[in-house]
Amino acid sequence: MDRKKSGISYAKWGYIFVAPFFIAYIIFTLTPQLMTFYNSLFMNYRDGLMQVGPKFVGLKNFISLFTPDKSGSIGMLKYFGNTMILWVMGAVPQVAVALLLAVFFTSTRLNIKGQQFFKTVIYMPNLIMAAAFSMLFFTLFSPVGPINKILVSSGMAKASIDFLNLKVPVRVLISLMNFLMWFGNTTILLMAGIMGIDQGLFEAAYIDGASSLQVFKNVTLPLLKPILVYVIITAMIGGIQMFDVPQVLTNAKGTPDRASMTMVMYLNNYLQTSKNYGMAGAISVILFIISAALSLIVYRSMSATYRQNRGRHRDRDK
Amino acid sequence: MKKVIALALTAVMTLSLAACGGGAASSAAETAESAAEEVKVEEAAEEPAEETTEEVAEAPAEEPAASDDSKIINIYAWNEEFKGFFEKYYTVPEGYTVNWVITPSDNGAYQQKLDEALLNQESAAAKDKVDMFLAEADYILKYTNSDFTQDVEAMGVTDFSNAYEYTVQAASDANGVVKGVSFQCCPSALIYRRSIAKDVLGTDDPAEVQELLSDWSKFEAVADTAKEKGYYMTASFAETYRVFSNNATSPWVDADGNLQFDPQIEAWIAQTEKFIEKDETLTAGIWDEEKNVQMFADGKTMCFFGPAWYFNFCMGNAQDPEKGCMGDWAICQGPQAHFWGGTWLLAPTGTDNADVVADIMNTFINDEEVCSNLVQNEAQFSNNQAVNAKFAEDPDYGSEFLGGQNDTAVFVELAKNIRFENQTIYDQLLNEGLQSNLQEYFKGNVDKETALNNFYSYVNETYPAIVTP
Repeated sequence: MDRKKSGISYAKWGYIFVAPFFIAYIIFTLTPQLMTFYNSLFMNYRDGLMQVGPKFVGLKNFISLFTPDKSGSIGMLKYFGNTMILWVMGAVPQVAVALLLAVFFTSTRLNIKGQQFFKTVIYMPNLIMAAAFSMLFFTLFSPVGPINKILVSSGMAKASIDFLNLKVPVRVLISLMNFLMWFGNTTILLMAGIMGIDQGLFEAAYIDGASSLQVFKNVTLPLLKPILVYVIITAMIGGIQMFDVPQVLTNAKGTPDRASMTMVMYLNNYLQTSKNYGMAGAISVILFIISAALSLIVYRSMSATYRQNRGRHRDRDK
Repeated sequence: MKKVIALALTAVMTLSLAACGGGAASSAAETAESAAEEVKVEEAAEEPAEETTEEVAEAPAEEPAASDDSKIINIYAWNEEFKGFFEKYYTVPEGYTVNWVITPSDNGAYQQKLDEALLNQESAAAKDKVDMFLAEADYILKYTNSDFTQDVEAMGVTDFSNAYEYTVQAASDANGVVKGVSFQCCPSALIYRRSIAKDVLGTDDPAEVQELLSDWSKFEAVADTAKEKGYYMTASFAETYRVFSNNATSPWVDADGNLQFDPQIEAWIAQTEKFIEKDETLTAGIWDEEKNVQMFADGKTMCFFGPAWYFNFCMGNAQDPEKGCMGDWAICQGPQAHFWGGTWLLAPTGTDNADVVADIMNTFINDEEVCSNLVQNEAQFSNNQAVNAKFAEDPDYGSEFLGGQNDTAVFVELAKNIRFENQTIYDQLLNEGLQSNLQEYFKGNVDKETALNNFYSYVNETYPAIVTP
């Protein structure tokens, strides 16, 4: 008791310092999130200039999202599949290339010249607005665009190719754009992670006669795991929310055959004209559940091995 | 998205810094504000491109004018066409400033922007109130049949004696109250290349060409001949869409809210299937660059369809001084009478400049000089029958673009056939959606059933009130 009276409670300041984040979180994230859950249970849209609802309908919005259409396909699942395909096509090379570049740039043995220059260049695409970037690709690959002109005049194609109406090219273009925009960002993050690793460990490994590949596999990668988990989870949340690039590239239509329609584009379809907050809310809730579940799986699986390793190191130290 | 999160965190961090010391609070708050602004910019970037809204404000002429908020006239439009005519031919009364809010109509973006403004009209500050807005035939009903527009006759627009009847009817609500006026009349004609017509039909005389293309079976037969000679009949699969859809005998949506295909729409699909199969048209959309390049002198397309506004608004390529083919065009009625588009000026409820708005409307339908200028200088077909008749009867009047043909005379005849009926408030997006979804079928990417199913999904997402088959 005496000690408590005379001493200064530093804990109080800790709470005060973290309070702004939690206040901002509650106002700007938690409340809207709860409102979304609430709204998803209502029929609420605009018909022309007339407001319909809000009328409580329970889980009807969710049921209609998972009701198959005439051809037997369920829209929600199809667009989830599209989103995942587009994300994997972009994220795998993104992380792989970023990892490679990060190792190169931080290696004291390679000691690459002009690092600052390269770092700036690879980060550059991220500074362009996604919509502008997408518009640029749209123009480049349009049937009367420069790429087609080059292909036709050089004889590589007989007639102009309608890239933006073919499933694979559209998906490749979208993934490529996402890759170009984000690999620089990932590289910088991973570099920070690698530079946080004790340089002595690399040196010790090399003295022990480890090859570069062995060092990468057995030293860099395990110690980089926390950052890698962070990178993968943020990339995944970004990927699930993919919207701007395909929206602009396909003029909101997700052509061809809605194969490049992502979940957020689907959500936007409901919201744009009819302000259908019920259905859009239901999709948001599903998006939230998917993001949370995937994040949890990645976090668990990656950090479990990390913790195991840490545990092993600690045992050895004893 | 990640950037938004990062910026939001920065803002939160800056705020927490502000909590540390009172002295630094103001500067930190400023930084937080600018960070918050950046977040807003980022969010804007994530919105679809078509929502980019261009707000063009004319520089306030004088200080006192700018300070009086009610003297700002806000006009909502989806392109620059009317703005051009307005700035050329209308003198804004002293002390007033005009503020144009222009949003492209693609994917319904214009309607969304306008709806938001109209729904907030009551609570909007005087300087933000919508004073006049433009609407197209495809969705005018949505606004006229609502309390968001007001009776223009009460505002002082009373003389419709020279206007075409359908333009008044289109702007009237179910009770016959007139809510706006159109500054143009839009009978649509078949626009053909004279040189190609000579090659294919042996004549480029409008009367003879009309005789040879007066119904769809003749049109299709000529398409075959054109193909043999190496020409396309039309440059877009949707080129003839309006010709059919305007002659529909039933609306898109029946009384119970069911989506229905009119026989005319079915006929369009059937004809387009044939044209695509025989390679007599292109798979480009109606506004696509691929179609527009066909209007150059080296284009291989014989027919286009469009009203008077089409010449200047869509046929820029044909008028190109180097690559174009000025004068190599002519018009005739074509297989079916129809109209396309038209821009109505509507008066929203709650405008604080009713007198000026009424004056603008009167000017564009009843001022003989302005209407004559529209016909003479802008290749428009005005909404003033007396002015149009004057030009139609003038033997010296002819369009340079059409090789001297008197287009007004043709349009005067065509205007007699316009019927404005079977419209719904959903038409713009249903027409757009049907075309873009069937385009995939015509391109061969999907089969017809899939394309129609995609169209139904599109309808369900866009208009929850419509029941699809």
